[in-house]
Amino acid sequence: MESLVTANVRQRPVRALVSAAGVALGVCLVMLFTGLARGLSNDLERRSQNLKAEIVFTRDAGSTQLMSNAANLSVKYAEELLKVDGVAMAVPDIRYVSQGGKGFGFEQVEGVDWNQFAAMNGMSLVAGRGPQGLDEVVIDEAKSRNNNLSVGSELKLFGNQTYKVVGIYTPEAGPRVKMSLAAMQDALQAPNKCTWVYVKLRDPARAVEVARRIDEALPGNKIQLTRDIITNIEKSIPYLGVFLRTLVGLSALVSGLVVMLAMYTTITERTREIGILKALGASRGFIVGEIVKEAVFISVIGVVAGFAVSFLAGYLIQHAYALPFEYSWLWGLTAALIGLFGGALGALYPAVRAANLDAVSALAYE
Amino acid sequence: MRTILQAENLTKVYRVGSVDVPALRGVSLDVEEGEYLAIMGPSGCGKSTMLHLLGGLLTPTTGRILIDGEDLTAATDAKRTDIRRRKIGFVFQRFNLFPTLTAEGNLKLAEGIHGGSDGKKGGDPERRREVLRLLQLEDKMHHKPLELSGGEQQRVALARAVVNRPAIILADEPTGNLDTENSAIVLNMFQEMNYRFNQTIIMITHNPEAAAMCRRIIQMRDGQIVAPGPRVQI
Ligand SMILES: Nc1ncnc2c1ncn2[C@@H]1O[C@H](COP(=O)(O)OP(=O)(O)O)[C@@H](O)[C@H]1O
Ligand SMILES: [Mg+2]
Repeated sequence: MESLVTANVRQRPVRALVSAAGVALGVCLVMLFTGLARGLSNDLERRSQNLKAEIVFTRDAGSTQLMSNAANLSVKYAEELLKVDGVAMAVPDIRYVSQGGKGFGFEQVEGVDWNQFAAMNGMSLVAGRGPQGLDEVVIDEAKSRNNNLSVGSELKLFGNQTYKVVGIYTPEAGPRVKMSLAAMQDALQAPNKCTWVYVKLRDPARAVEVARRIDEALPGNKIQLTRDIITNIEKSIPYLGVFLRTLVGLSALVSGLVVMLAMYTTITERTREIGILKALGASRGFIVGEIVKEAVFISVIGVVAGFAVSFLAGYLIQHAYALPFEYSWLWGLTAALIGLFGGALGALYPAVRAANLDAVSALAYE
Repeated sequence: MRTILQAENLTKVYRVGSVDVPALRGVSLDVEEGEYLAIMGPSGCGKSTMLHLLGGLLTPTTGRILIDGEDLTAATDAKRTDIRRRKIGFVFQRFNLFPTLTAEGNLKLAEGIHGGSDGKKGGDPERRREVLRLLQLEDKMHHKPLELSGGEQQRVALARAVVNRPAIILADEPTGNLDTENSAIVLNMFQEMNYRFNQTIIMITHNPEAAAMCRRIIQMRDGQIVAPGPRVQI
């Protein structure tokens, strides 16, 4: 049987589609932002986890925040660290945050002795060789794939200095672009300096103990366990959660308002029909139910369309800008519920208004 | 004969701004089961107001209405709606069909609302077919109102009103928008309903020929009944 709901939607397909689009927009907002936030955070975490050094050694003043451009630690500390009992390797490293390749976002570049770094983390080259010259870099496979770079390609860093890709490595660990420590020192005009020193231990289980020894040998510096830094990634963006929740709230509002507006206009338009329903003996509950059903029907279409558009847009953005999207079922469910409840709640006010119309004047409405 | 509707001393005063407009000034009326009653009178004399009161679409300022033993005037709004759903079928001058639904869809909607809490959602297809056949609408079942003539639309509206076997049909100038030919068809249908199913009908009309088909004619003036005509046995 053709219900009032489907008949009404078919009568005004454009209105229904615009309302559905409003719901879809809300779903898209939630899916894309949470997908991106999760993707970025997981990506960062994965790359951090592949760093096998147990300890990161920095100057007290220098911060260990992953987005610092300070290279103010003398590389001499590496030699001192090697003398501490239990230290297997000490690899000085510079991290630099550079403007992203397409002027969008930013990306990190690392200056580190490739052979030492690769040995420390169990990394290997899948193509080419390690960086040697001052204008040479190696990149990881994801970077190669996303930016269409291969051995021999050029890329611009630090504004517009050209570097040559000489190798591609795996697995991903830390920044996706690496050059030799000397090349980075040259680029930053910081000879003999580094941001921090990675410390690899003979026995990973004794990290706390060795850290204490390092502190005794080289007092006044900052000694952090890598695992602490990794767990800090989430905390290092403390307002991300608040931001996401705000966004989700706003999306619900958008969905709700669009559906409310659509239902509001449609109810004015159908005043006489509501009068007829009342003359037929339809209860308030029935009238509210029909209107909310229609809103939910439109919302379901909007939610489905929203998912489709989110996945498509995520896919396109991922390929255009190499931004990682990772969707979660939980956020997907949240987005769907927001679309549905936003729509239903938006319809509720106009529905109750309609149910309260005076039957005789509704019937007289032109 | 059983009294199916009893109206006692009904008054209705509309308030327009700060002005009181008395539309009914004490109307009493008894209607027996199976009666076919015409209400006549000049425009503005309170006929529609009375019909709306009898159907529970409005509440009287004073007075009492009993339908099939149930007190409409003492009921809450929800209760009045419920009594209307179970006991009353309306037919309007302007047909008032759902433009988005087919003839059959309009009937099913009425059945759905009538079935409501009883869960009798699908309606009674047998009854529906019988009514559609009687009103010669079988081949128009899948047409929407805009694809039907005025006479056909009013027949659908009548079918919608009778399909749930209401205790009373209240019709407000049902032929007011129809030409002579279609008026005759619709009036025949009313008579048929009354004759075949002993359907109680109260009909407002300006048409003396329509009124002549009824068993009783009531004349109204200025919110009062001036000539409560005698009951005619057919
Ligand atoms: N909603 C209303 N508000 C104010 N006055 C009304 C309203 N409805 C009807 N009236 C007045 O009540 C009187 C009776 O109207 P009505 O019952 O529609 O008469 P009829 O159907 O016999 O033409 C008229 O004077 C009309 O103007
Ligand atoms: Mg009238």
